[in-house]
Amino acid sequence: MMEFFRLLKWELFRMYARPRTYIGFAVFLAVEGLVLFLLSRPRVQGALQNWIEKVAGGFDQYFSGLTLGFILVGGTVFLLGAPFLSLVCGDIVAKESEDGNLRLLLARPVSRLKLLMVKYVSCQIYALSLFLFISSSALAVGIIERGWGGGYVVMTPEMPRVSIFEWGQGVGRFYLMPLFLVVSYLPLTSFAFMLSCMRIKPAAATIITLAVVMADFVLANFPLFPLFKEYRDWFVTPRMQMWVYSQYQDIPWPRVIENWAWLIGIGLTGFVLGWMSFERRDIKS
Amino acid sequence: MPTGMWRRSCNFRLAADGLGDYLIEMLTVSHVSKRFGRGDKPAALDDLSFTVNKGEIFGLLGHNGAGKSTALGIMLGMVYPDEGEVSIGGVSVQKQRERAMRKTGAIFEAPNFYDYLSGWRNLQVLTAFSGGVAKREMEEMVEWVGLEDRIQDKVNTYSHGMRQRLALAQALLPRPEMLLLDEPTDGLDPDGIVEFRKHLFALRNDFGVTILLNSHLLSEVEKTCDRIVILRKGHKVYEGNCRGLEQERDNYHFEVDSWQALAGVVEKCGGRTRKDERIVEWSCEEDIAILVSALVEAGVKVRQVTKLEASLEDLYMKVRGEKEGGT
Repeated sequence: MMEFFRLLKWELFRMYARPRTYIGFAVFLAVEGLVLFLLSRPRVQGALQNWIEKVAGGFDQYFSGLTLGFILVGGTVFLLGAPFLSLVCGDIVAKESEDGNLRLLLARPVSRLKLLMVKYVSCQIYALSLFLFISSSALAVGIIERGWGGGYVVMTPEMPRVSIFEWGQGVGRFYLMPLFLVVSYLPLTSFAFMLSCMRIKPAAATIITLAVVMADFVLANFPLFPLFKEYRDWFVTPRMQMWVYSQYQDIPWPRVIENWAWLIGIGLTGFVLGWMSFERRDIKS
Repeated sequence: MPTGMWRRSCNFRLAADGLGDYLIEMLTVSHVSKRFGRGDKPAALDDLSFTVNKGEIFGLLGHNGAGKSTALGIMLGMVYPDEGEVSIGGVSVQKQRERAMRKTGAIFEAPNFYDYLSGWRNLQVLTAFSGGVAKREMEEMVEWVGLEDRIQDKVNTYSHGMRQRLALAQALLPRPEMLLLDEPTDGLDPDGIVEFRKHLFALRNDFGVTILLNSHLLSEVEKTCDRIVILRKGHKVYEGNCRGLEQERDNYHFEVDSWQALAGVVEKCGGRTRKDERIVEWSCEEDIAILVSALVEAGVKVRQVTKLEASLEDLYMKVRGEKEGGT
C-alpha cells in the first residue's frame, strides 16, 4: 500500500509539474469572467432580480457571493467540464505511450495493473482539484462582486423547487458540489481513461469521449427524440446531472445512492475494460 | 563512481535467490516465437534461442525489422511471445515479470523523458517504480555518468548525448545485474560513442553487469561485444564470436600486373578469387608463400600482398548470403 501511495505521489507530481495541466485552470477562470460579464448586462440583471425577488424575497440579500458563485460554477462546468476532463484522462496513458515514456516505466518492476490504478486515481484527484478550483474561484469572484454574507438561493431545471439557505449552511452546501461533481463525471473520466489504455492517439481518445457524451446528452434531452424520454434512465448524462442533488433543500439520499451506484459502476467498468485492453497489449516502439 | 556496495549487493541478491555465484547463464531465451497481426504475416521472431552468460557483453545484431526490438520487448515482458520463454537470472519474465525486472535495467533507442522536469526529478520519478533509491546513490550515479553540472536543468535543454547519459543513469538505478540496451549509440557523435563504450566496459569489468546490446551498427558491436547473435527476418542465422566460427580460408588482397593470369594460377593451386575486390581466398592451412612462388614462376608480377583480417561485416555478409541463398 505504501508503494501505491509513493507512486501516486510521483504521478501527481508529474501531472501538476506539466504546464498544460494549468491551461484548464486558466481557461475556467477566463470563462468565469465571461459569464460574470454576461450576468452584469442590464437585461440579465433585471431578469435575475425579478426571479430572486419572486422566489426568495430581497434581491440584495439573496443575490449573494454564494448565489453568484453557483451560477458561475454551473455555467463553466456545463461548458468546459467535459472537454477538459476528457482531455486529461484521454491523455494519461495514450500520451505516455506516444511519447515513449511508457516503456521506461514498464521496464521497472511494476505491474500494468498497479500502473493503471495509480493513473486512474490521479485522474480522479485531478478532477477533484479542478472542481475545487472552479468552486473556490467562483466563490471568490462572487464575494468580490457581491460582498461577504447574505443568503444562498439555487434553482436548476432538474430541481423540483427552489433551495434557500443562510450563509453558513450555504457555504457547506456549496462545497458539497465539487465532491458530487467528481462522482457525476466518473463515467466520462473512466471512458476517456479506457480509450487511453487502448492503442489509440491521445487526441482520438478525447474526441471519441466527447462524441459519445454529446450523443448521449442529445438523445436523452433533445426535443426531437421525445420517444426516448421513457428510456431516459438508460442514458448516462441524465445521471451525470445528479450533482445538483447536493443543492436540494433536502438532499434525496436514496436517489443519490442509486445514482452513485450507477455512476461508480459505469466508472469501474470503464477502468476494468481499459485494464483488460492494456494488459493484452504488446508495448512496442 | 558508484561504490563497491554495488557488487556486494548483486552477489547478496543472487545468494538470497538461492542462485549464488554458481549461476552462469544470466539471460536465457528459449524457443521464442512471435507473430504480429494475422496468421499469414511472416513471424517477427521464429524459434529464437540463445543464452547470455554472467558478465558477458552480448550483441543482438540484424537489419531494421529483423526482430531485435521485438526480442528486447519480450525480454522486458512488454511484448508477449506466442511461444517460448525468457529468463533473467533464473526468473521467468513471462511468469514473474516484476521479480525478473528487479534485476534488470533498460535503455531504449532515442531516450524519452519527461522533458518539463529536471534530470534529477526524472530519476526520482523512474526509480520510484523500483522502490526508490537513496539520494547519495543517485548522486554517485549522476557523477559517474558525468551529468552532475546539468542534472538540475530541465531535460528539454539536454543534448542527445546528455539524454543518453541520463538514460544510462536511470537504467543503473537501482543496481541491476542485467542491462538491456536498444540501439544505445544511435544518434551519438563519435565522442559520445567512445564515452558510452567506456561506460559499458567499466560496468562489465568493475561491477560484473551482464549487458545485452541490440544494434545494427556492425562496428559498434564488433568493438564492444564478446559474442553475438545475428537475426535475419526473425530467424537466428548466427551465434558465436564476432570473427565467425571455423574459418576455412583467409582473405588476401593482391596487387598484380594481370589479374587474369593470377586467377588461372590460383585456380590451379586450389584457391578462389574475387575479381572485383582483388581478393584471393586461400586455405588457412597452407602458406601463402606457396601461391606467391607459383605466381612468380608463372611470370605474374606481384607488387603487394596484404592479409585481410576477418571483420564482423564479412561475417554478417556471409551469413546473410548463406541465408538468402538457402531461401
